[in-house]
Amino acid sequence: MPEWLTTVLFLLVNGLVWGLIIALIAVGLSLIFGVMGIVNMAHGDIYMIGAVIALTLFPYLGNFWLGLLIVPLIIAAVAIPVERLVLRPYEGHYSVTMIATTGISFILQQVILATYGGIPKQMVNPWPVTFNLFGVAYEGYRFLIAAISILILMSLWVFLYKTSYGILIRASIQDRDMASAMGIDVSRVLMTTFVLGSILAAVGGVLAAPVTQVFYLMGNDVVLLAFIVVIIGGLGSLAGTLVAALGLSSLEGVMSSVLTPIQSKAGILVVMIIILMFRPRGLFGEREG
Amino acid sequence: MEKKPFLSFFVLSSLLILVLLGFVLPSGVRSLVIQMMIFSIFAMGYDFSFGFTNQCSLGHSIFFGAGAYGAILFILKFKLGVILSLVIGMGIGFLLAVILGLICVRLTEAYFVIVTAIIASVFHLLAMDMTWLTGSDDGLTVTLPTISFGFTELSLYQPMVNYYFVLFFLILTYLVLNKMLKAPLGKIFVSIRENEKRTNFLGYNVFGYKLIAFVVSGVFGALAGGLYALTLRYASADYFSFYWSILPIVWCLIGGLGTLVGCWIGVMLMSLFQYYVSAWFTYYLLVFGILILVILGVSRKGMLGYLLSLRSR
Repeated sequence: MPEWLTTVLFLLVNGLVWGLIIALIAVGLSLIFGVMGIVNMAHGDIYMIGAVIALTLFPYLGNFWLGLLIVPLIIAAVAIPVERLVLRPYEGHYSVTMIATTGISFILQQVILATYGGIPKQMVNPWPVTFNLFGVAYEGYRFLIAAISILILMSLWVFLYKTSYGILIRASIQDRDMASAMGIDVSRVLMTTFVLGSILAAVGGVLAAPVTQVFYLMGNDVVLLAFIVVIIGGLGSLAGTLVAALGLSSLEGVMSSVLTPIQSKAGILVVMIIILMFRPRGLFGEREG
Repeated sequence: MEKKPFLSFFVLSSLLILVLLGFVLPSGVRSLVIQMMIFSIFAMGYDFSFGFTNQCSLGHSIFFGAGAYGAILFILKFKLGVILSLVIGMGIGFLLAVILGLICVRLTEAYFVIVTAIIASVFHLLAMDMTWLTGSDDGLTVTLPTISFGFTELSLYQPMVNYYFVLFFLILTYLVLNKMLKAPLGKIFVSIRENEKRTNFLGYNVFGYKLIAFVVSGVFGALAGGLYALTLRYASADYFSFYWSILPIVWCLIGGLGTLVGCWIGVMLMSLFQYYVSAWFTYYLLVFGILILVILGVSRKGMLGYLLSLRSR
């Protein structure tokens, strides 16, 4: 194989692995928007907190995988009061939710800065195995990330499309008032959705902790990409989000072979703007209803 | 309409106080007041689009930063005069606002807020990256030439000149924006805010009017950025950061949306708050975040909106 092809394929695989983490985060973002009408600026910080908690607990647990199970519980305990007490009155007013969640985002970042400190740290690799990928040594843990993400996304799909509670959530996405009129406890559905979305982001954070720098602003980059993904896929469309996450991340991966990371971000922005010009509601977004 | 005398009384007395204060203020407080006046220009411009046509842009840091860099770079690289550079900065703000407006304004509310925020973050990243142009985080410092009027020369290094220079632009901004809102244009803006669909049915080009509001707002954002950079003789990539997009929203929400001058109160309170709290508390943004939630929880009409609703009762 020629060398440039190896490089491109390598970056493509790397991009896809990141794409799966982004997909976890963006699907949560899209779910929260679709069901609750919240534009969640604090979503990236939930991702950050997931990573920080996993890193902090690691010395006590001594086991990475145990952290992966405990973090969702902690996040749920934080997310429920936030949704109930802070965000509930603003749901459906997009601008207001965006401002309110920005406030929450500032609070979360500063609390982590005050307690955890501002120095970037990295998690030890929980599965230090390398594979030979196109003649290059490739971390086995990254494949594990991909496998776990796919597993989570598949179980999310089963939950939303094959269980009765999933039907309730999807009914609330389609028409919240009608769902409420049919006797669905929409209030509980809203809470479940917010917790579910937050857990997806936090799990993304835990999975990403060994392959990225863990510090209090790590969510900003990721939430930017997640928002671009959600916009391109169409707000509230889960399938669109998944397709856009994988497509964009592999595109960014390939672009980064010739451009600097920031130039490839700008390139993705151009892609987003072009798509929005032809489809103002994203690729899979619904028409005005 | 019975609100009118109260509002004009508020505006006239504030401006009169500002004119008189210029002579007596000690220098430390004077620079704080100059900063407040610059922020008021930014906030009025922001209120023009958010308060009157309901476009909650999260990308106004782009215009602020563009105005600042426009002013600084043209003095630094092309040795142009202060006023000319400021105007060029506004021109850059205008161009960016037109381009962004054409992309964003026709989107629905949720897409609008997100897309403006995304574009602003990418601008911030680009500004951080292009060190050769922007100086990145360290920024650029500049030595200002004097402003020549033919009969006299003024230098912005004199605090008094700086004060009245900024005050002049504050009054100018108020007069221009107030004139536009008093004209039929303002009525159309309000009707778009109250009911976009119905305004469309009446035959108005809603997209065009919202674009006008967005662009005007962007131009005054650039003016504020330019003045801020000239006052500090400094611009850095930080001017493009998300914080500068959130600030005008907070000012307008505290002071009162859709009143044009209500944001003055917001600016004053926030600047004092920032000045004192950031001095003794490292995690100032934590308090800022809590404050945002409190403001949203208490009232979304703001202080002046609250006062006005008391008077009209």
